[in-house]
Amino acid sequence: METELIFTDIYRSFGRLRVLRGLSGAARGGELLLVTGRNGSGKSTLLRCLAGLMRPQRGEIHCRVNGRALDAAERRRAVGFLSPELELYGELTTLENLEFFATLRAVPDGRERGRALLERLGLPTERPARALSSGMRQRLRLAWALLHRPQVLLFDEPMQNLDQPGRSDVKALLGEHLEAGGLAVVANPDRLDLPKVDGHVELAA
Amino acid sequence: MGMLSWLRETGAILAKEWRSESRTRVALSTVLLFATTTLFVVSIAVGPIGGAPLVKPIMPVLLWIILLFATSAGLPRTFVHEEEVQTADALRLAGAPTAIFAGKCLYNLALVAVLEALVTPLFFGLLGVEVERPLELMTILLAGGVGLAVGSTLIAAIVAQAQVRGTLFAVLAFPILLPLLKLAVDGSVAAVLGEPASATLTLTFLYDGVLIVAGAMLFPLIWNP
Repeated sequence: METELIFTDIYRSFGRLRVLRGLSGAARGGELLLVTGRNGSGKSTLLRCLAGLMRPQRGEIHCRVNGRALDAAERRRAVGFLSPELELYGELTTLENLEFFATLRAVPDGRERGRALLERLGLPTERPARALSSGMRQRLRLAWALLHRPQVLLFDEPMQNLDQPGRSDVKALLGEHLEAGGLAVVANPDRLDLPKVDGHVELAA
Repeated sequence: MGMLSWLRETGAILAKEWRSESRTRVALSTVLLFATTTLFVVSIAVGPIGGAPLVKPIMPVLLWIILLFATSAGLPRTFVHEEEVQTADALRLAGAPTAIFAGKCLYNLALVAVLEALVTPLFFGLLGVEVERPLELMTILLAGGVGLAVGSTLIAAIVAQAQVRGTLFAVLAFPILLPLLKLAVDGSVAAVLGEPASATLTLTFLYDGVLIVAGAMLFPLIWNP
């Protein structure tokens, strides 16, 4: 089944500051698109636009999952979004967080899926999210992004705060996702040592 | 989205709000502390008035002022906190906007209900005011409480998106909550004095309906980019 993400001629500015200027790119099922650029070049803004969290001022974003075209609202709920600016509920435990979001996303085996992801990423199930280290919080964000088995992954600086085993986990999970026919857009200041890169967009500062 | 999954999402949001509140107790303690402080200030300043006919109609006004200010202190937290601690995006990506709005409204309604259940008997007890029609007073408290919860949730959603949040709640609350409070005060005065309040009650429930429909229609536009 066809899965693709195509963005064409994307413009986004904040007041007088023009961040994205006519940016285009595409990824299809099994492909990884790498977005690189210096700090402030607009990587996070691009990923927020692709996730449906921000509206581009010009340009088009087409997302198709399993052959079905998604509008912005459907796209928001379909993507697996990882960002250092996204936090989960500090007063809930890691498992409670994943259970809550699994219910919202109608994941049929939410509790088991959450538990399996936490185990895979080496996270405790009963610790409040606020009591996690920065690296563990990044792992929890990763578990949250993968919880609903999304076909489209949007990862903004996925290796941030992670140790070597954590980075290996991200690469392994990305590899499995691509092998299963999903697509990924990964943004990072530098080129990462990723399992495969099928396209590259370099943003000017 | 089916009705069942919408209800499941709404329930999950309500349960999450209560679970978070039971562990932090920020909203409930803010609301209750504010309410009890103002209540005791009023009771010390005014004292028991008994059945004084000139003062009796003013008492429901004082009650609704206490309820309004107490809820204004705690209810806007619903969305502002989500933005401040950066959990709003996770919620925005995972939940249906109308289910989020309904879940937050129900949570705020529960807070208002707890507040009213504790403050109202204390208020009338401390001031020695006899309520002629207690059942009608309870109904108007319910209707006013629903309006306060829904209106505050909607205003909180707007405030959370603003850059400058300081006085915005008060500014927006004035046009949205003023008609509701006028109706709630009129109904409460009638119930306290033993006069019929059915027309005011109907209007209050109608205003609740308008707030609910307006909230459900506007919230997705406020919440999503």
